Amino acid sequence: MKLRTSPVFVEGPMPLIAPAVMFLSLFFLVPLGYVVWMSLSQPVIGLQNFGRLLNSSLFASVLYSTFKTALLVTLLSLLFAYPLAYAAANGSKRFATFLLTVVALSFWTSYLVRTYAWMVILGNQGPVTALLSWLGWDPAPKILFTTFSATLAMTHALIPFMTMSLFAVMKRIDPLYVRAAENLGAHPLRAFVSVYLPLSAPGIVNGCTLVFITCLGFYVMPVLLGSPRDQMIAGIIGDQIEQTLDFGLGSAISIVLLALTLAVYAVYNRFFGLDRLWAGGDR
Amino acid sequence: MNVWIRSLAILIAAFVAAPMFIVIPMSFSSAASLAFPPPGYTLQNYVNFFSDPNWTQPLTNSLLIGLGTVCMTMLVAVPASFALVRHVFIGRTVFNLLIMLPMIVPTIVMAIGYYIYFGQLRLVQSYLGVILAHSCIALPMSTLILTAALKGFDRSVERAAMNLGASPFTTFRLITFPILRPAFTVAGLFAFIASFDEAVIGLFISGRDKATLPRQMFNAVRQEADPTISAASSFLFLLVLAGVCIWLAPQLVRRRTRLLGQTDGNGAAQPAAATS
Repeated sequence: MKLRTSPVFVEGPMPLIAPAVMFLSLFFLVPLGYVVWMSLSQPVIGLQNFGRLLNSSLFASVLYSTFKTALLVTLLSLLFAYPLAYAAANGSKRFATFLLTVVALSFWTSYLVRTYAWMVILGNQGPVTALLSWLGWDPAPKILFTTFSATLAMTHALIPFMTMSLFAVMKRIDPLYVRAAENLGAHPLRAFVSVYLPLSAPGIVNGCTLVFITCLGFYVMPVLLGSPRDQMIAGIIGDQIEQTLDFGLGSAISIVLLALTLAVYAVYNRFFGLDRLWAGGDR
Repeated sequence: MNVWIRSLAILIAAFVAAPMFIVIPMSFSSAASLAFPPPGYTLQNYVNFFSDPNWTQPLTNSLLIGLGTVCMTMLVAVPASFALVRHVFIGRTVFNLLIMLPMIVPTIVMAIGYYIYFGQLRLVQSYLGVILAHSCIALPMSTLILTAALKGFDRSVERAAMNLGASPFTTFRLITFPILRPAFTVAGLFAFIASFDEAVIGLFISGRDKATLPRQMFNAVRQEADPTISAASSFLFLLVLAGVCIWLAPQLVRRRTRLLGQTDGNGAAQPAAATS
C-alpha cells in the first residue's frame, strides 16, 4: 500500500506559498515600491529629493539627534533591563513570575496609554513638577515636550523588549559555570564579569539591536512627548504627509530611514544570522 | 540571590509598572486638564467614552478592523507556516524573509506607502484598507508562532489517521487542527492585538469616520482638549491588567495544588506535579 506522505490537502508547497506571496506582493511590496518610486519621481524624475536632503543642515541635525536618542535609549534600557532579567532568570520561581508579570503588563499596554500616563506625570500640573517646586526649584523646569521626556518615555516603553531578549538567553545559562568559577576562588563580581556577562552577551546584542531599530523608526512617543524643535526622523516623515504634503521628500526621507534600518539588520545578519534575532525574543 | 540585586530588581519593576497606574485615578478626574492629583472625582469620562460617538465609533471600528485582520492574517499565515515547516523548496529562505519583511520595515515608511497606494486604489478611509495594512504588520509574528508550534507537532498521528482511511481534509479537521488549536488561538490573538494597538498606519489612512481607537487617542493626546482620553486609557490598561491576571491565575493555582499535594505525602504529590 502506498503511504500518503503529504497530509495537508496538496502534494507540492506551491498552493501553500501562493497566498502569502500574492498578498505580500500586492499589499506590501507594491506600496513599498511606491515609496521608492515617489522619492525618485516627485515632482520630477531624478535624484533631486535626495540632493535636497544631502544639502539640508536641518535633515543632518534630525539624523544626528535620531541616532543620539536611539543610542541613549538603547543603553538606558539595557541598564534597567539587565538587573531585571538577571533577577528573573536566577531568582526563585515566585520572584521570577512576579517580575515577568510586571514586564508583560508594560509590554501589552498600548503606547498611547503609556504616552498619556507620561503626559500626566511630567505635565506642568503633574506630580513631578509639584515635587520639584516643593523642593524649592522655582519656577520648576519644563519637562514635558523636551528631548528628555521623549527619551524617558521611550526607554520605559522599550525596557520590556530588552528584558525579554536578555531573559531568553539568561534562562539557558547553566548556574554551574558561575559556581565553578567561585569554587575556583573567583570573587563573585569577577565570576560575573568573566563568566556570566560573556555568556549573556547574545541576549545583549539581540536586545540592543531590536531596541535600537525600534527607536530609529519610533513615531508616536517622540511626536507626542518630544520637543517640536528637536524631532526624530519618523516625525518629519509624518510632517511631510500631514502638513507640507511633499510626498517626494517624505518618501526620500523614508528611504533613508529604511536604508539605515536595513543596514543595522545587515550587520546583525552578517555576524549572528537573522533567524536568531526573533527566535529568542518570544513575545 | 543577593539581597541588593533583589531590591534593585524590585525598584526597576516599580519604575516599569508604576507610571501606567496613574491612568486609573486620572480617569475619575472631574478636571478637563491633566492636573494630578485630580481636584474632584466623577464617572463622566467613562460615560463619555461609552456614549460619545467620537469615542464609541473608533472603538467599534477598531474591534471590526481587529477581527478582519485576524481572518486575513490567518488565511495567509496558516498555509505559509505549513509550507515553511513541512516542505523544502527552492526559494524557501527568500520566502521566509518576505514573510518577515513587514517586521523589518519601519511602520512610518509603510504609512506613507499606503497613503499613496491606497489613495489611488480608493482604499483610504475604508475598513478594507486598514485591514490589509494591519494584516501585513501582524503576519510575521503570527507566522512565527504557528511555525514554532508546527515544528513540535508529531506527524505520526496524521499518518495514523490517513492509514485508517481518513482523507487529508478529514485528517486536518479531526486531528491536525484540534492539536494545534492553542497555537492558532495565540496567533489569532496576536494578530488582533497588533491591529488593535497599531497607531501609525491607522493615523494616516483610517480617516475621520473610519478612525481607529489609537488614532482617536493620538489626536486627543495631541490636542489635550478631550479628557475622555483618560477613561479610554484606563479602560485599555485595565483590559491588559485583567488579561495578565487571567494568564497568571492558572500558574498560581497550579502552585497551590502542588503545595497541597506535598503536604498530602508523596502519592498525592506525583499527579499534581505531573500536570504542571
